[in-house]
Amino acid sequence: MAALRSSTRVLSSSTRAAFRPSAVFSRSMASVSETTEQQPKIKSFQIYRWNPDTPTEKPKLQTYSIDLNKTGPMILDALIKIKNEQDPSLTFRRSCREGICGSCAMNINGQNTLACLCRIPAESSSDVKIYPLPHTYVVKDLVPDLTHFYKQYKSIQPYLQRDTPAEDGKEYRQSKADRKKLDGLYECILCACCSTSCPSYWWNSEEYLGPAILLQSYRWLIDSRDERTEARKSKLENSMSLYRCHTILNCTRACPKGLNPGKAIAEIKKQMSLGS
Amino acid sequence: MASIVRPSLLRQTALAARCAKPAFRNNAIKASAFHTSSQRSAFLPPGPQRIEGTVNDPAPVPPPSASHGSYHWTFERLLAAGLVPLTIAPFAAGSLNPTTDAILCSAVLLHSHIGFQSVIIDYIPKTRYSGLRKIFWWGLNLATVTVGVGLYEFETNDIGVTEAIKKIWKA
Repeated sequence: MAALRSSTRVLSSSTRAAFRPSAVFSRSMASVSETTEQQPKIKSFQIYRWNPDTPTEKPKLQTYSIDLNKTGPMILDALIKIKNEQDPSLTFRRSCREGICGSCAMNINGQNTLACLCRIPAESSSDVKIYPLPHTYVVKDLVPDLTHFYKQYKSIQPYLQRDTPAEDGKEYRQSKADRKKLDGLYECILCACCSTSCPSYWWNSEEYLGPAILLQSYRWLIDSRDERTEARKSKLENSMSLYRCHTILNCTRACPKGLNPGKAIAEIKKQMSLGS
Repeated sequence: MASIVRPSLLRQTALAARCAKPAFRNNAIKASAFHTSSQRSAFLPPGPQRIEGTVNDPAPVPPPSASHGSYHWTFERLLAAGLVPLTIAPFAAGSLNPTTDAILCSAVLLHSHIGFQSVIIDYIPKTRYSGLRKIFWWGLNLATVTVGVGLYEFETNDIGVTEAIKKIWKA
């Protein structure tokens, strides 16, 4: 296993060197020693810092420089490296490091995304700026308070509601076409990247549900097995919950999973209007 | 200490329940005094976070009202779509009909009224600035009535909107 790992490291270092014209000639001598020859690729990260223990102190950007040759390719790798080696007080959420849990949502270079799915821009020399999700109450550093977001999720009752039992007494069956309607909706991991990129949600997050929750709402509205469609719709029948969406579509642009909350909201509006 | 005092963390311990509020307010005042620099922000400050109920309660759902929800939205879209033919028709037909003029004027007026209402709802939250919301709401109503009266006068005692545009628009 150890041998395998060292060989892959050599492979990766030689392929990386191949992209740099200055290192092309040394490529034939691909060996472990080459890694020591590489000159360090220093990248600076400006990271938002705020400590709740000193609330009167203004939030600030703190700059950390790391060598990209000794870091993984993603922003989360860099953050973990900084926390491990430079500043253990740097605070952020992370869990799965592969875009499934939605913990590491943050604002990277002005775009809400998951740190684990966002590559470190190696080509540009400019600093990477990392902020917490915009317009959230910050708990510490890059950790936003998503309490209200989850409370809103709870308010749409995100679970199957039925009154009639299944025909075979075993499971609620669904046709392939009905199942297909859920594609592009069930993948949502509730990372809040879309909701916190929505200006409407910035101004009215107390009452407007926001794209993530509305996408989930639509997921239950069109589920053929759910029998409370009308009750679900009547929850959206007011000026705030749904109709604060003004089709800005920042949500679709932000979604790190490539989903389309904007379309889901448009479909809800259509359903509410046409009554289908 | 400050971390357990902050209600955003919502630590529902007896300790936090006893001493959270006054301490937090102090900190918030201090913090806001510090954050307001010499130049005043153009935006209203966000204010402290308010969480209704406990963390395990769902967010409150407003009472259903279709006239504020789907009917309102459908009407708004139909009105907006209807404005297109209403704008083109008098020029395409070449005839100056006072009835189409009146329909066009009222549709534009209603359309802009709904649009501005939407702006007020978006930017002046009712829960936080109820007084300001009322001022703007009734200010908008007053403005709409004024414009309506003005358009009526313009239509009855003057040349009317379509004719006026035709006179100005000389390409």
